[in-house]
Amino acid sequence: MNDLIRQAIKAEADERVDSRTVLADLHKAKKRKPLGLIVGVATLTAAAAAAAVIIPTAIKKTDASPAAQTPAAQNVLLIGTDEYHRTDALVFARFEGDGSATIISLPRDIYVGSSPDRINGLYMQDPRKLTDAVEQMTGSKVDHWAAINMSAFGQIAGIVGGVEVCLSAPAKDPLSGVDLPAGKQVVAGDQVLAFLRQRFDLTGGDLDRTKRHQAFLAGLAAKIAGDKAVMMARSVREAIQVDQGWDVVEFAARFQGPVKIRTATLPVGEAVQRDGTSGFAVDPAQTKQFVEKQFNGEGPVRDECVS
Amino acid sequence: MGFDQFVTDRLDRLLGYATAITCDKHLAQDIVQNVLMRAQGKWERIGSMDAPYLYVKRMVTNDYLSWRRRRAAREIAVERSELARHVPSMADPADTHAEREAMRARIAVLPRKQRAALVLRFYEDCSDAEIAQVLGCTESTVRSQLSRALQTLRTHELARSATLGVHS
Repeated sequence: MNDLIRQAIKAEADERVDSRTVLADLHKAKKRKPLGLIVGVATLTAAAAAAAVIIPTAIKKTDASPAAQTPAAQNVLLIGTDEYHRTDALVFARFEGDGSATIISLPRDIYVGSSPDRINGLYMQDPRKLTDAVEQMTGSKVDHWAAINMSAFGQIAGIVGGVEVCLSAPAKDPLSGVDLPAGKQVVAGDQVLAFLRQRFDLTGGDLDRTKRHQAFLAGLAAKIAGDKAVMMARSVREAIQVDQGWDVVEFAARFQGPVKIRTATLPVGEAVQRDGTSGFAVDPAQTKQFVEKQFNGEGPVRDECVS
Repeated sequence: MGFDQFVTDRLDRLLGYATAITCDKHLAQDIVQNVLMRAQGKWERIGSMDAPYLYVKRMVTNDYLSWRRRRAAREIAVERSELARHVPSMADPADTHAEREAMRARIAVLPRKQRAALVLRFYEDCSDAEIAQVLGCTESTVRSQLSRALQTLRTHELARSATLGVHS
């Protein structure tokens, strides 16, 4: 039997990925260190926001609670985590009573105030610490938070069967496996994750990737309706956590159909070093003003095509 | 040994090891990448050790054993055992491929630590002492992990042979 075990384990080990891919990843990650180590599971900003929209939509369907009045607007902090519960993406979202939403991607490597910890390290310490920091930084109240393990996102992409996005240039990257022409198109299957995962060879780096997430999210939100929502909720429910005391049913009452989403990314200031780690400082006054403007619906409209 | 040289020499082997213990090549890739980036930061210390490879392997193993999404790992394994069950029961016992796949499925559903011990013994050819070092436990624990794993595999093997109408 030992020989059989040996062969079986070898067969398993033979499934390993090509070491050259990993080597290339390591080298590129080394070069990109100043922007923070982006290794492993993809940053899927979209997943976090989508989950917060999807789950309550489905809950509403099953519980069928009558909406007596228009629900109040709520600010929700969406935390995308990787399999190790590390923060990979942060999105501050405002959901209006009519179901429309504004989301602001917060770069992960921000230092808030004089804290030695970057913002992406706070959730693991204590979700409360993170929400406090976001409130301090943006001047807006965080009503609730939701954290989602973004690896569940592959399933969501599969269920909707493709999402429409628009590329301003063709995207081809052997590392992530993305291979898409320029222009408006429906991305589906493996290309969804590849599209969201590509981080190298993008001129704007992480920023371009954030834009892709936002474009994808807008496309996905347009598809959230009907029975699909229930299926999506089922696949992500296991992977999501929300703060206690959040009445998601009340929250869900605002979503009557596909969700309209406006997106933006918080501008950051200069790169700074603290305790040997680099990150970004933000201008407190500017940040507060930016968030307020976005949440009031005064921000610029998103470009239709992303690079 | 320099870090780059270590990676050149060992990366492929490390990926194979990680894939065998996780039964998930993507998770294995993530773990190995993360570990190597951490190892690079303290390479001065690791590189001067007697057995850097053993130490890095320990980091990989720890990452996997402390990995919190246990459910997913089990799901993959269950999926595979499900597949194994559909291997035609009339299969020719001489069909080594089917046998091997069935064994793979059984290994995939073992508890994580037992599987790690098994892989260290049968893929990495480690001694009890080396396995103990990687798993961070005593040698007697290693022996009991291995014997439990083997016992489980043997029981299944017997059951399988019985349904096939052959005696092993």
